Amino acid sequence: MIQLVGINKTYAMGEMLLPILRDIDLTIIRGEYTAIMGASGSGKSSLMNIIGCLERPSSGKYYFDARDITTLNDNQLTDIRNFRIGFVFQQFNLLSRLTAIENVMLPMVYAGYSRLERRQRAEAVLVQVGLGDRLVNRPNQLSGGQQQRVAIARALVNQPDVLLADEPTGALDSHTGAAVMDQLNELHDRGLTIVLVTHDAQVAGRAERIVSLHDGRIVAP
Amino acid sequence: MAPVTSPILHASPQQRRRTRAALTWADLLETIGLAWSSLVSNRLRSALTMLGVIIGIGAVITMVTIGRGAQSQTEQQLKSLGSNLIFVQSGVAATNSPASQGAGSATTLVWDDAKAIAHAASSVAHVAPVLNLRSQVVLGELNTSTMVVGTTPEYQPVRDFLPLTGRFFNQAELDRADRVALLGQTVVDSLGLTPSSALERTIRIRGEAFTVIGTLEFKGVNSFRDQDDQVLVPLTTMASRIVGVNAISGISLDSISVSATRSSEMEAAQYQITNLLRLRHKTMFPRQDDFVIRNQADLVSASNSVANIFTSLLGGSAAISLIVGGIGIMNIMLVSVSERTREIGIRRAIGARSSDILRQFLIEAVVLSLFGGVLGTGLGVVASLIINAIFGWRAGVAVDAVVLSLGFALAIGVFFGAYPANKAAHLDPIAALRSD
Ligand SMILES: Nc1ncnc2c1ncn2[C@@H]1O[C@H](COP(=O)(O)OP(=O)(O)O)[C@@H](O)[C@H]1O
Ligand SMILES: [Mg+2]
Repeated sequence: MIQLVGINKTYAMGEMLLPILRDIDLTIIRGEYTAIMGASGSGKSSLMNIIGCLERPSSGKYYFDARDITTLNDNQLTDIRNFRIGFVFQQFNLLSRLTAIENVMLPMVYAGYSRLERRQRAEAVLVQVGLGDRLVNRPNQLSGGQQQRVAIARALVNQPDVLLADEPTGALDSHTGAAVMDQLNELHDRGLTIVLVTHDAQVAGRAERIVSLHDGRIVAP
Repeated sequence: MAPVTSPILHASPQQRRRTRAALTWADLLETIGLAWSSLVSNRLRSALTMLGVIIGIGAVITMVTIGRGAQSQTEQQLKSLGSNLIFVQSGVAATNSPASQGAGSATTLVWDDAKAIAHAASSVAHVAPVLNLRSQVVLGELNTSTMVVGTTPEYQPVRDFLPLTGRFFNQAELDRADRVALLGQTVVDSLGLTPSSALERTIRIRGEAFTVIGTLEFKGVNSFRDQDDQVLVPLTTMASRIVGVNAISGISLDSISVSATRSSEMEAAQYQITNLLRLRHKTMFPRQDDFVIRNQADLVSASNSVANIFTSLLGGSAAISLIVGGIGIMNIMLVSVSERTREIGIRRAIGARSSDILRQFLIEAVVLSLFGGVLGTGLGVVASLIINAIFGWRAGVAVDAVVLSLGFALAIGVFFGAYPANKAAHLDPIAALRSD
């Protein structure tokens, strides 16, 4: 479903070109649970952002469902993020002014669902992640674990093909982190494709497959 | 695999959306609601930002109302002079100012001119010759300086002056040069009289005794002079007893007031009078006319052009404050964009197109300025009503200024919101997400 071929990413640092990702070849098939593991600064998030169509590679080819992403325009990339990809971030990235259910409804707003549909589906997903009694709480009224589950609900609400999670347990204590990981495993068991980014070998061990990243290159584990 | 079916993850392909639905009015309303709640969450800041627009819009409406009120006031005063009125004045036209009353002081017109106009000009209804002199009027211990006007009974229909008490002098009194007078209400007051007690009293003008036979109805102050501060006497009496000079050519006049038969005859009447006087005064080209003809329309348009400049100056300076208000909105929207960079990044990541972000911030700016515009309109309407009440104007509130101002507020929101909104829309999602 996801195929990266010879992906490079460089940042211009003044005069210098700083390579962040080098010659990445990676294929992820539907239903797979992959962990991308590496030290801090190894380029995991950069790789994740490219997979998530938030950023374009400097060179190389990226096929999402056999479609060459590098040829798409900004609106087309945005729509892929909206309809086919769910994001979960380390810092949750919820909008603090909105309630849990409003946060979950947000991707559906941009997809153009009716109000009623939005409310019903957002509520169903929040119930599914165990937050049926926290619908109208704002993020600052929720614990870290609850916030991350709201974020997972938001990632799922448009029924994505793939869930991308960047250090989803990074801001949580080990106990709540484990609960979130259980949630991901459960989703995977139900058939969801997941790409998990972490620097923690124990967390990575929950995935089916581990891809190791070192200095922007994929290395043997 | 996937033995457990989840309604969330395994929706049928029909249920699962792959393309955006078109934007509906409901969506737009919702965006407006969102913008509103975002402004409410920053209440003080939004209020302070709106203040510029509130004051600007309020000022535009109030200033235009004031300008219009003053203008319609002047128009009414000019109408109070009488209808279809034409002024013929002695002297050479002062060419430098169209609004000037100032014909020269030389009295070139005579009573025979007035008689000729009445006789020969077919579009003329009534003719009132006028000879003025500023003089003291004395009653016992009291005296006042006023304008003594010598004229004929025709003055009544021409200038639309009716007696409040008593009566106007008649043709017989004019022919006999009787010493009778009508007092304007300002003079009645100055001499310590009332409209009824003034009748039959004897006043002295330049030592001559006059019997008061009437008082004039109240006319009010117009832009030129106090129409109630005058004493009317027969022209013949005026010439022989007060001015005391009779030219060989007859009684000299300062001016002749003429009324046309109909307003559509005004132009014809003016031509007839001009030609007649040129013949009588032998002032055919290249000799310059020794008289000046003006009508009410000239006076109205002269005063209107002044009032229009006045109104646009007031409105213009108020509009500048409106632009300052717009800059305030731009400023606060830029602050808002940089404060909400992360929010923008999040929205972009989960599927907001740059046009969605643009719309969000643009609508926020428009809601801000339009709401400020509505409040400013309220302020302007209230201020206008108060000013109308104070000055007793019936001009009402400048409705077109209200509509225009609200349109302007909308335009200001769009114009000054465009730059910040565009900036927000073109933020790099990744850079926005990484910011904090
Ligand atoms: N916009 C950028 N400009 C320059 N360098 C960047 C930028 N984004 C990331 N980097 C650098 O790229 C490297 C990889 O970053 P990242 O992908 O976030 O690593 P990880 O997620 O593995 O910690 C880091 O050294 C980081 O400093
Ligand atoms: Mg990272």
